[in-house]
Amino acid sequence: MTQGPVPISVAEAPTRLGRLSAVAPREAAQGVVFILPAIVILATFLVYPVIWTTRLSFYRGRGLGFEGYLGFDNYKELFTEDPSFLDYHRFPPQGAVINNLKWMILYTGLCLVFGLALAVLAGRVRYERLVKAVVFVPMAISATAVGVIWLFVYSPDPKIGILNAVGEGVAGVEPISWVGREDTVNYAIIVAYVWFSAGFAMVVLSAALKGIPAEIVEAARVDGAGEWKIFRRILVPMISLPVAVVTVWLVINVIKVFDIVYIMTRGGPGASSRVIGYSMVFETFTNGRGGYGAAIAVVMLLLIVPIMLLNIRRFRSERVSG
Amino acid sequence: MSRSKLMPVFLVLAVAASAIVASTGYGGSAGQQARVGSAQDPITFLTLWGGSEKQAFEKVLRAFEAKTGLKVQNESGVRDFLPVIRTRIAAGNPPMLTIIPRPGILADLAREGALKELEPMGVSKSYLARNYSKAWIDLGTVDGKIYGFAAKANSKSVFWYSPADFKQRGFAVPTTWAQLVAVTKKYKAAGETPWALGAKDSWTLTDWFENVYVRTAGPDRYARLFGGTLPFDHPSVAAALRQMTSVLNDQYVAGGISGALGTAFVDGIGRVFGANPSAHLYMEGGFVGGIALGDVNPKLKPGRTIAEAPFPVINPRFGSPLVGGGDLTAVFVDNPEVRKLLLYLSSPEAGRIWVSTGAIVSPNKRVPQSAYPNLLVRAEAKQVAGAKVFRFDGSDLLPGALGEDWGSTLQKVIQKPSDIPKLLSAFQKKAAREFKR
Repeated sequence: MTQGPVPISVAEAPTRLGRLSAVAPREAAQGVVFILPAIVILATFLVYPVIWTTRLSFYRGRGLGFEGYLGFDNYKELFTEDPSFLDYHRFPPQGAVINNLKWMILYTGLCLVFGLALAVLAGRVRYERLVKAVVFVPMAISATAVGVIWLFVYSPDPKIGILNAVGEGVAGVEPISWVGREDTVNYAIIVAYVWFSAGFAMVVLSAALKGIPAEIVEAARVDGAGEWKIFRRILVPMISLPVAVVTVWLVINVIKVFDIVYIMTRGGPGASSRVIGYSMVFETFTNGRGGYGAAIAVVMLLLIVPIMLLNIRRFRSERVSG
Repeated sequence: MSRSKLMPVFLVLAVAASAIVASTGYGGSAGQQARVGSAQDPITFLTLWGGSEKQAFEKVLRAFEAKTGLKVQNESGVRDFLPVIRTRIAAGNPPMLTIIPRPGILADLAREGALKELEPMGVSKSYLARNYSKAWIDLGTVDGKIYGFAAKANSKSVFWYSPADFKQRGFAVPTTWAQLVAVTKKYKAAGETPWALGAKDSWTLTDWFENVYVRTAGPDRYARLFGGTLPFDHPSVAAALRQMTSVLNDQYVAGGISGALGTAFVDGIGRVFGANPSAHLYMEGGFVGGIALGDVNPKLKPGRTIAEAPFPVINPRFGSPLVGGGDLTAVFVDNPEVRKLLLYLSSPEAGRIWVSTGAIVSPNKRVPQSAYPNLLVRAEAKQVAGAKVFRFDGSDLLPGALGEDWGSTLQKVIQKPSDIPKLLSAFQKKAAREFKR
């Protein structure tokens, strides 16, 4: 039998680079070999494209090539001359960035509220599994199909759109063109996407709630705590980590959202429902402005970085406390 | 496990990774192993056509295959054409041939060096002149060189109505703008909604504008406006838009303007010609007929429950110029098989087969009227062939981003006509920059 390397125990694992010198050179080399495949893959599919895209954002970039150096002109245009991306000359400000902000608040909030409410309430009924399955099913549909389904729901023709059919038949209101009005279109798409992803929040949070030991809840009941108090003071704090994970997932979803906007409105009417992801695809491919689209991609990346950092820090602190 | 045993695994990974990088870097050009046109390596064609247009085109391709023994693979129904074609070009993997729906894009791609010039491939100006009129050849010409020729033509200067309904109400088919407005008002007075509009697809609005503009400002100004030498904030543009919004407003359009903005082009047809119609008039190109009969409501009877009429005259001085659209055949890869297909597609023989399906109108002037199978397409073909003044769909001529931007600008215009001056000056700023590139 060949002599294998002595496994390094977790306690001894080098946490700072300084300690690496303490490890035998042979072991260090082995470590490098072990992480090399991961590094190669990350470098090829993540680091290299990021550098390439960042470089492209300083060019005009026709045909997605480094052509026509522009310096920071793309960024300047993006933030000062492109009302469909960011328009702060009007009040309230408008544009894709503001729409993403609306998404961030409403989509994340609604998904969490519905997800948590359903997780708590479903846990109290006998047909829990049925409820969960029904709420979770949209997750199994592609976002494209979700968009098409909701386009039917929202159709301004009451003979097609169920929402307007109900509105007209029951309440007698004039049909509302949910995706044809600048003041409703964003909310209409957000609701469709909440329907799509609230199920995921529900499943994760429900699992977390099930993980809370029954003794704790019982002890609280014995101490005379009401249901609401138990929910607020015990359940919610005890699932704060899963809530944070779901929140991060939802926020990242928001920043990269594209598919459902593309299917439902193509960013219209006008440019009122564009989001950053849609602007990126539209400028890069439809308009053929590779550099400008790359600049939008870089902005997107910069928006995601702090959220990732927050997440990493959280995982670290978890490890320390656990 | 020792280190030496790990090395092969690592090497395999490294080779695989470099292979991936290499293949994305160079991309696959036309394969050299198999003969082009064989079943393994067919001539590749990418088109945006779906439905009846696709079927018609494939009928032509099958005829070509039967004649030459060459195989053609048609990747069809790519509705969002631009993103797909730009990605394929950037990846070094373009189809051999494609259909480009907009001359403005053809010019962009030609200047970027992505397209092959057709003259050295045997499609000369004199050859084309035998089959096409000058206006059509010019559309495929960029900086004096030929990069494409028209595959199909549309009249966009028509509106659609129900002759039975007109007869029952005693309406005559309007030939002037005043008569059109009168019919609109009569429908309204009878408690009906006159117009449907599929403004969610913003090109329906640019088509409306183009028809009004060419009739109010004249074909010359039209050419200058979309050629970049007349600014969009010129008073004639605002005037045309105001004329347009005198019909396209909350009062006369099904579901109001917001309803129209939530209605796609085909759904708009459904509002007039569907099983439960809620409006009576629809303005869009000759292709409405095929879609209405084929996709919306097969029970329609051409000439009885659906018919087309030329867009009415507004200013007698300019008469009734034809605004038309068309798709251009263009080439990314030059080889003898592709050359054969090019010559075939531009021949009257292919044109006859093509139009026999009733799906399209051929721009080929040697395709006879008798080759058209039904009333609706024959009327359109007659209008296209007989037009004294022909102007191509202006928004399709605009370079790069402008065509799309013009559409979303018009979506804003119909929502708030009082914003017209502001919107036009903002658009002109963009246009000036884009035309300079």
